[in-house]
Amino acid sequence: MAWTAKPSATQRIERRAEPYVTAALQAKWTQDILPKYATKHGALMPILHEIQHEHRFIPYQAMLEVAKFLEITPAAVLDTVTFYDEFTTEQLGQCVIGICQSIACEVCDHKKLLDHVRQRLDLEPRETTDDGKFTLLTMECLGSCDTAPVALFNDVLHEKLTIEKIDQLIDEAKAGNAAHGHA
Amino acid sequence: MKLSEPVLTKRIPTAPFGDPKQRHTVGFDEYVKTGGYQALEKALSMEPTAVVNTVKDAIVRGRGGAGFPAGLKWSFLAPIDGGRRYLAINCDEAEPGTFKDRLLCDFDPHQVLEGIAIACYACQLDTAYFFIRGEYHHQARVMQKAIEEAYAGGIFGKQGLLKGKSKFAVDCILHRSAGAYICGEETGLLEAIEGKRGWPRIKPPFPAVKGLFGRPTIVNNVETLAAAAHVVERGADWWKGIGTQSRHPGGMPSFGPKLMGVSGHVNRPGVYEAPLGVKLSELVNDYCGGMRNGKKFKGAIAGGVSMGVLGADQFDAPMDYDIGRDYQVLGLGTACPTVFDEDTDMVAVARNIARFFKNESCGQCTPCREGSGWMLKSLLRIERGDGTSADLDLLLEVAGSMGLTPGTTICGLADGNNWAVRTIVNKFRGEFEARVKPKFVPVYVTAGR
Repeated sequence: MAWTAKPSATQRIERRAEPYVTAALQAKWTQDILPKYATKHGALMPILHEIQHEHRFIPYQAMLEVAKFLEITPAAVLDTVTFYDEFTTEQLGQCVIGICQSIACEVCDHKKLLDHVRQRLDLEPRETTDDGKFTLLTMECLGSCDTAPVALFNDVLHEKLTIEKIDQLIDEAKAGNAAHGHA
Repeated sequence: MKLSEPVLTKRIPTAPFGDPKQRHTVGFDEYVKTGGYQALEKALSMEPTAVVNTVKDAIVRGRGGAGFPAGLKWSFLAPIDGGRRYLAINCDEAEPGTFKDRLLCDFDPHQVLEGIAIACYACQLDTAYFFIRGEYHHQARVMQKAIEEAYAGGIFGKQGLLKGKSKFAVDCILHRSAGAYICGEETGLLEAIEGKRGWPRIKPPFPAVKGLFGRPTIVNNVETLAAAAHVVERGADWWKGIGTQSRHPGGMPSFGPKLMGVSGHVNRPGVYEAPLGVKLSELVNDYCGGMRNGKKFKGAIAGGVSMGVLGADQFDAPMDYDIGRDYQVLGLGTACPTVFDEDTDMVAVARNIARFFKNESCGQCTPCREGSGWMLKSLLRIERGDGTSADLDLLLEVAGSMGLTPGTTICGLADGNNWAVRTIVNKFRGEFEARVKPKFVPVYVTAGR
């Protein structure tokens, strides 16, 4: 849900000594991203995509640094981060399994898949395994209704899934073969 | 009703004209070899206003869902004042059941880019943002590559359109969203490009006057732009020869071919190109090989869940822009029906749709934010068997109170929720009543005064 309230006033922020937004990144963004938008604020989403891709979440420290870099308020960054489902403030697993739960997938039996993954990985949607390998998500329509049921494994879409197929994908990911970056 | 030749799917093999297994991404060279960018060349030989008038004459209705004529939208633009003007291409295809724009991005990205270049020239827009949803990872990569090819091929870039044939230069930028259905609403989309949360803006001012970064902006769907290129190349009369007139006197006609993505319980789900006005039954039986396992047709989402459902007796509904008026749904939407067979639990369908809208409500307007949650709760109760007949009435009351039609929200997201739930409950009322416990509510009547 995009609009859940967060206890930001009393929140403590984890910090590390080395910055997330390094000078090299700043130089790269100044060259590649900033010229594409009329305002600095406009560059926020592409930058957040890069951070999410790199760290599998958006640390609060990074939000502060991005705010400084783009000369906007940290609140504006938090606003955007919390609104979009793809940006997370908690670290996702190395392999994010996003099972589509929208109408075409539901009438084509997505429930079987979801229950199977739930049991096999002992996960509920939005949870990550203790070893940080898998995160299970239920997603809204992935735009591939003709090949329902579908699921995203990181940024790769898998179509016409069966329990055998999804088991195989999980096995591959466990063995570390699923070397897809998280986008 | 069938097309005599494929139009938008010319390079994307689609039944009945080709075998979907032969599909591949058409690169720049192949696109040019097969007659690509000739529409742009023709457009550049015309005055920009003449291009707008051609699209206006053809009555190219928006393919994104609302069906607003593209040419008319283009003519609303604020006059040129020397500042920047934008085109935003809406590829935030997140409506459940809809997957037609994905086909164009996947296999024929240059067809879309040609439409973008033509729209930019016609409306004199210097920057185009291709706004693609975050979940379309593969499509974003394909489009990014195609945009780079188009720059290298001299379509976009400083030298001016089509290797400098026109002095007018256009930049095309890919902008990835990050998973929010509401960004498909045109002003929510603009907010997202500006880096903010995708909250729709109050209109007026309309984007054509004050849009992206406060400048005049046109927002068009991917398929609309691809179609506009064909209209420019072959003329308005050719376009008007496909499709159908309105069934109502003075109504706006539904011209042109349309990508229709059929999903659900059919034998061959997929995207098909058909003239507007094709019957749903024709689409299912002739294009998709009939209902799966020989089951009976029970209902279908008209075109993306927002539009509501067609009942069992509405199988012959023609897929055109009059469908809303004649078949008690909100409209044609994206013309991507999800078909249900006789075994489908319509209460579960309603619950699924209500959950979608609850998850995707942006939270800006109270009726939608709160109403969507209430509706989901009562539908969950009904599905479990704990609901009462009062829940059913409450459901309809809450549904009817949200959206642009009752005038309580900023954008049309709640209308989708409103229409989807109301049409399902009204058209399949027996199924809901069988699930709820009867509850008698005392009603006090004051007779006379």
